[in-house]
Amino acid sequence: MKSRASTLLAAAAGLILLFAVNAAGQAMQYERPVQAAPQEEGIGGSYKTPAVQKPQPRSYWLEVLDVVLMAVAMGISVWVVLRRRSRKWVLALTVACLGYFGFYREGCICPIGSIQNVSVALTDPGYAIPIVVTAVFFLPLLVALFFGRAFCGGVCPLGALQELVLLKPLRVPRRLDRALGLLRYAYLGGAVWLALQPFPVHDFIICRFDPFVGFFRMAGFAHMLYIGAAFLVLGIFVGRPYCRFLCPYGVLLEWVTRLAGRGVSITPDKELDCGLCQESCPYGAIEKMRVVRPKCLYCARCFESCPREGPLARKR
Amino acid sequence: MSDQTTRRGALARAARGAAALALGGSAFYLVRKADGQIVWNVDSARCINSRLGVTNVEACNLCTTECVVPLSAVRAVNEYSKCGRCYICPAYFNITSAVDEKGLPSEKLCPRDAIERKPIGDIDPDDPANNFYEYIIDEVKCDGCGKCVMACKEPLGLGSIVLRVRHSLCVDCNRCAISTACPKDAILQVPIEKAFDHVQLGSHD
Repeated sequence: MKSRASTLLAAAAGLILLFAVNAAGQAMQYERPVQAAPQEEGIGGSYKTPAVQKPQPRSYWLEVLDVVLMAVAMGISVWVVLRRRSRKWVLALTVACLGYFGFYREGCICPIGSIQNVSVALTDPGYAIPIVVTAVFFLPLLVALFFGRAFCGGVCPLGALQELVLLKPLRVPRRLDRALGLLRYAYLGGAVWLALQPFPVHDFIICRFDPFVGFFRMAGFAHMLYIGAAFLVLGIFVGRPYCRFLCPYGVLLEWVTRLAGRGVSITPDKELDCGLCQESCPYGAIEKMRVVRPKCLYCARCFESCPREGPLARKR
Repeated sequence: MSDQTTRRGALARAARGAAALALGGSAFYLVRKADGQIVWNVDSARCINSRLGVTNVEACNLCTTECVVPLSAVRAVNEYSKCGRCYICPAYFNITSAVDEKGLPSEKLCPRDAIERKPIGDIDPDDPANNFYEYIIDEVKCDGCGKCVMACKEPLGLGSIVLRVRHSLCVDCNRCAISTACPKDAILQVPIEKAFDHVQLGSHD
């Protein structure tokens, strides 16, 4: 205690001396006045050290709620497409999920980006991810294992945005569709490889080049906003270009969906080879009057075009 | 034909079961080593502004320029228990500026005037250097430029000011833009319980 007081006194004396020597208008010669932080008892006068602000993140239970909502939305997607077979309901779900997971939750947390976290967590013993992230990554895959890509349909906000801008779908030649689809594998491989690299090569490119997160946040890097806008303009004519040609999570969902027991089916009991459903599918997921389930994105357009169950049938 | 169908059905079921097992197994592995809630955090021992041994250089302001949140989710925090409460604080005053008539440096260091200097208790005007002052950082004004952090450390200060992530503002980008830009890899994800610890400053490499 005594030594601190004497240090302070010495420092004070030194400073006063310095002030005397320093003419006004000149910079001072700075010397640190104390060697240790004075504590409450040293300061005296019933001084209380103020609390340091500790702003807390979003509550853990709200994050759990996100996962629950995602699971519920996928359940609704399965029910609406496989049972109700209604495009209107799919659109309602799409808008709701775009609002919540897209604009309200600002595109995070998403299974697409979590590929990177999961790959790092599976290989690096020092890296762990919260249970919420694990759930977000595995739930859509689990649903796909039984019912197909219900997540892509109404739940994924990136898909939802593209689904809503697709107004004038053009047919992509099958060969071009297949060739461009290979890009996804390169993107998935590159993203996982980069995620596993040590600093400074380490990067999460799926998040870095997420074309739509800038819209969800209403802010972002200019070049990403331009790329996102380009995807949306292209998406007016080409069905879901990001999902079909880039989305790395789509690759995983496609693999798992190959094993699925159920999924979208068309004309299940009455044959009618008009081919209107094949014409209506903007994703090339109906070939030879049969659904190619790994490519089916749960949009329910085919039901809507069907003369047996769409609005044409209802008008009759 | 029907035999083939059932064989195929059995194979499909087996494949589905195997896939479910693989997915469930990896999910189980990840859940077992799960870390609760994790947040982005500044490692003060790595941050170039707060790590010891870096002096006489321009403060690094990448936390301000890279963050996607307006102004930045990173800000300076004065850990009061470590503060020297100096009469002339090198983080409050620009100590290289001219001395004014009161004998204090005439300019402040903070470009956004976010630090408030408040005397503690009674001030003895005859012994100015022996009075204590509280330095309070206004979290609304601060943009985490790091100037005060760089100034308040050895040899001039005690290192009570560090950069911290304001978790209420941080949007938890999976790929934190600051973390990618940071030359010292000082922005790391840690469990929330560890995010508010004041680390003893050192010269971590």
